[in-house]
Amino acid sequence: MATVEEPRAAARPFIRPDGKEKVTGVGRYTADMTLTGQLHAKFRYTDHPHARITRIDASKARALPGVFAVLTHEDVPDVKYGGMVQDRRLFAKEKARFEGDIIAGVAATTPEIAAAAAALVEVEYELLPVITDYETSPSSATLVHDAWETDSGDESMGRDGNRLGFSTIVKGDADGAMATADVIVRGRYVADCSHGVPIEPHAVIAQWTGDRVTVWTSTQVPFAARGGVARTLGIPESHVRVIVPLLGGGFGAKCDFHFEGHVAALAKAARRPVKLVFSRHEEFVAIDHRREGITIEIETGAMADGTLVARRGRLAIDGGAYCGEGGFFAQMAAMHAAGPYKITNVNIESSLNYSNNQPSSSIRAPTAPQVCWAVEQHMDELARKLGIDPVELRRRTLIHEGAAGPTGQVFDRLGILETLEKATELIGYGQELPEDEAIGVACGWWPSFGVPSGAYVKLNADGSGVIVTGAQESGTGAVMGLPILAAKVLGMKPEDFAIVYQDTDAGPWDMGSSGSQTTFNNGRAVIAAAGEVREQLLDMAEKELEAARGDLELADGVVRVKGSHDRSIAIAELTGSGAALLGKGSGEAPEPSVGADMSACVGDLGVGAFLAPQLITQAARVRVDRDTGVVRVVDFAAAHDSGTILNPIGANGQVYGGVVMGIGQALSEGTQIGADGRQKNPHLLDYKLVTVADTPRIQIAWVEYAAVDGGPEGSKGIGEPPSVPTSGAVANAITKVIGNQVKQLPMTPERVWNTIQEGSK
Amino acid sequence: MSRTYLAATSVTEAVSALAGGARAIAGGTDLVVGARHGKAPIPQSLVAIHEIDELRGITGSGGGVRLGALASHEEIVDHPVIREHLTALADASAIVGSHATRHVGTIGGNIMNASPAMESGGPLMCLGATITLQSTSGTRTVAVDELFTGPGRTVAESGELLVSVDVPAQPAGTGSCYCRLEYRRQMEIAIVGATAVVTVVDGTVTAARVAITALAPTIRRVPEAEAALVGTDGGRVAADAAAALAASASAPISDVRGSADYRRAMAAVMTRRAIEAAVARATGQSVSIPASPALHGAV
Ligand SMILES: Cc1cc2nc3c(=O)[nH]c(=O)nc-3n(C[C@H](O)[C@H](O)[C@H](O)COP(=O)(O)OP(=O)(O)OC[C@H]3O[C@@H](n4cnc5c(N)ncnc54)[C@H](O)[C@@H]3O)c2cc1C
Repeated sequence: MATVEEPRAAARPFIRPDGKEKVTGVGRYTADMTLTGQLHAKFRYTDHPHARITRIDASKARALPGVFAVLTHEDVPDVKYGGMVQDRRLFAKEKARFEGDIIAGVAATTPEIAAAAAALVEVEYELLPVITDYETSPSSATLVHDAWETDSGDESMGRDGNRLGFSTIVKGDADGAMATADVIVRGRYVADCSHGVPIEPHAVIAQWTGDRVTVWTSTQVPFAARGGVARTLGIPESHVRVIVPLLGGGFGAKCDFHFEGHVAALAKAARRPVKLVFSRHEEFVAIDHRREGITIEIETGAMADGTLVARRGRLAIDGGAYCGEGGFFAQMAAMHAAGPYKITNVNIESSLNYSNNQPSSSIRAPTAPQVCWAVEQHMDELARKLGIDPVELRRRTLIHEGAAGPTGQVFDRLGILETLEKATELIGYGQELPEDEAIGVACGWWPSFGVPSGAYVKLNADGSGVIVTGAQESGTGAVMGLPILAAKVLGMKPEDFAIVYQDTDAGPWDMGSSGSQTTFNNGRAVIAAAGEVREQLLDMAEKELEAARGDLELADGVVRVKGSHDRSIAIAELTGSGAALLGKGSGEAPEPSVGADMSACVGDLGVGAFLAPQLITQAARVRVDRDTGVVRVVDFAAAHDSGTILNPIGANGQVYGGVVMGIGQALSEGTQIGADGRQKNPHLLDYKLVTVADTPRIQIAWVEYAAVDGGPEGSKGIGEPPSVPTSGAVANAITKVIGNQVKQLPMTPERVWNTIQEGSK
Repeated sequence: MSRTYLAATSVTEAVSALAGGARAIAGGTDLVVGARHGKAPIPQSLVAIHEIDELRGITGSGGGVRLGALASHEEIVDHPVIREHLTALADASAIVGSHATRHVGTIGGNIMNASPAMESGGPLMCLGATITLQSTSGTRTVAVDELFTGPGRTVAESGELLVSVDVPAQPAGTGSCYCRLEYRRQMEIAIVGATAVVTVVDGTVTAARVAITALAPTIRRVPEAEAALVGTDGGRVAADAAAALAASASAPISDVRGSADYRRAMAAVMTRRAIEAAVARATGQSVSIPASPALHGAV
């Protein structure tokens, strides 16, 4: 690990408290739980990805011995839900809109009986044309949501029929400027959809006590899950308690309210606890949450010295059958089509379209890896046409302090140029390589999200502490790292703290483990809460030590007089008095210091300016087997500006995981969809994740500039960015070896081989 | 519908359970995983054979071996006679699944599952292996070459237990290789595989066997390719010619794993690589085991 400039005392690596139970198998996940009298749930999915439902008859299913409840849309309140657009019901009513749409839910004594009963639900359909081509769906005569105008939703979305969202980024006059360019390049790129694939499948257990329900669920967003249960079942949030046992990964796939409502409704009807555990097949077809397919058309005009005078872009994004929490994708994708570059004139149109495919929602940096993959190949092509080395072209065009971004946002100090130098240095850019190898470089960015978040900190009688937080630990270690922050404020050790988390009745509201924002926002809340406790300790110590407050400091578990350490009192002695030492915090969310000028743009959903942008350069060295098209990544370097790094172990872990996920998306992870709207590879045999044997060496460098608009100590996020430019870096390396670009993602062996064949014609 | 499960401790006990309609289960890595995948439900009646000592172990004699039905892929890879003289089989077992799969999966299960994509079939066919089947009415021997009749189907009767596999010693100057197209380095399924066994005497190929895997409803030998190799020096030109014949003999399908065109092209590449490595081994050059990653340019 290398650190650039501003050396400071390196943060002490802190080993996460939940690590041991997880790696030794002692940890308990939702699917491991069993409640007395518990029933098992199964869903009946639609038989046709797009069809009008003309009749549902559950009587045979209800009559099967062992069945306690069968629910359809008739048995729950007629309520629609969804993120920016409320277009979905728990159970399909008038129409089924994708392969995983749920018609009925069953609770029975065994999973087998539940499955048998689900199959007995009689459903009649009127088949409708299946829209799998999301690019042309806005001009299709068939609507995915016939009555879309009656669905409530965010006005800024720009909905129109099958167009779920529309955003533009317009700066200056791109058409005019394009005409003046010395060199113009154009490209069309198509990224297939992919999945998050957490190893723990979705699991939910619900149990009612009177009119209150407790739901244990494998969610990344417990408060959104609680809100969803309350909304769909028509009960107050105070009647719903969501608890998340250990979470076995999410990668975004467990964001949003998903199945908690169905299971709670089944448990209520059955009057027994009900448990749902997804199979791997369901994990692919039914979680209504995947990384969106995107078609990217892009054109850039540059002057001979590389100055980027104009960029035009047209993006079509597969929104799938429902909005989910992916409503902001059109604008987010457009921001990535501009990228972290100085471009004088920009005109990008981005359309998020309904289709009969699985709904798209956040998977680790939604839209960014796909769009970045296209843009970064495009930049390399531009460099070739200009006769400028691709790294040099980036050096000339990347944003820096004082530069204006695509929406006029003027940036504070940021270190993307430094990440470019670091990544290329680590990978040995420019070295002699065998003829079947090359190094590719790509840059990218991702915003930090400033949202409200809360925490309490309290001290125990023996001087140890408890952090009570609403934040959710999805496996990244972000919540596990909160003690580092409290400990610093209180002069204690991180090991002194217990953490109460993942219980909506305990912690304050939090957005959940999404948007790389836990440390960024909840970190500030914990620091504020610990700060209140600090004041209380100082109040007490002032009297005990008969010293002026300004002369006191907290360190090594004591409050002491600065400079005369023998005048001190242990925190344990202060807490031993029985006084309630309790602090609360809700760190104020920062704003970008200069906002965006969105006056020429439409469809602003709040990401037109990037708060504390996280900046990345990655470099991949690949080897291509020209006879087969098989690509191996043999060496990798990742350099990040994520602001101040608070816990190096945790930050490095995110980069390792993100890069490996990115390599999978680059080379092998893609969901294939048939013309019938069904996934063709919904299982781990043919949806190919990268294995440990495929993982190259990954070298990491941090550019630690404390961010002015950042989180604790000037930190930014880190969870999502490592996946952003990975496929772009791999793509640029492949092109260098084979001479042509692979314009479909993932760049599978057959696609690479086809590109080689076409090139040799 | 009651399920029965018997963990047999002798072959006699196992075959009488089979006669009663039970299905054998060894490592379960095909049977159980297949059921989870929805291929076929777990049979109502199972006889587990993993505790039968008679079915264990690998014994070498001369340059050949007898594999007990329970020999695991890991034991095969580790066996010195197999590595030295029957190398294609070691190449095959070394790339089955992951470390865990290789420790649990058995040769008997691999063969009797009869997948057209399974790894050990091509090498066993080309090395002239036979299997011994036992039932309540006695034992018989079947050449692996004549065993497979379709995907998941063999000439074995439902009451027959595979007890052992005999792989004969190969003539002096023989080298062999199994090579598979690998999208990733572990947990892969053969999309295209090829086996070559060649005997080279004084620079001339005197005998050759070639088989292709995952390119037809069963693993199949390619006699035309074999004939094309005999009498040549086994060099690039000869290997290419034989490889082209293997590609023409293939009957690939188009599916999520690849198009028929790509598979056919890869049939030639894999066959050529297998032949080249087999010739190299026959002439005393070393090609690491498993051959696949090395032949595909992995580090
Ligand atoms: C993750 C994973 C990866 C895999 N990768 C590969 C791979 O790369 N290449 C490959 O070839 N295979 C692979 N397999 C398949 C499997 O592991 C092998 O085929 C293994 O050798 C099967 O052996 P088993 O003992 O587990 O078979 P089982 O599942 O126990 O049995 C398989 C079939 O053979 C029958 N059977 C078993 N033993 C006998 C016997 N002695 N007599 C008669 N019938 C018998 C059973 O009734 C059943 O029909 C993989 C499996 C998994 C789960």
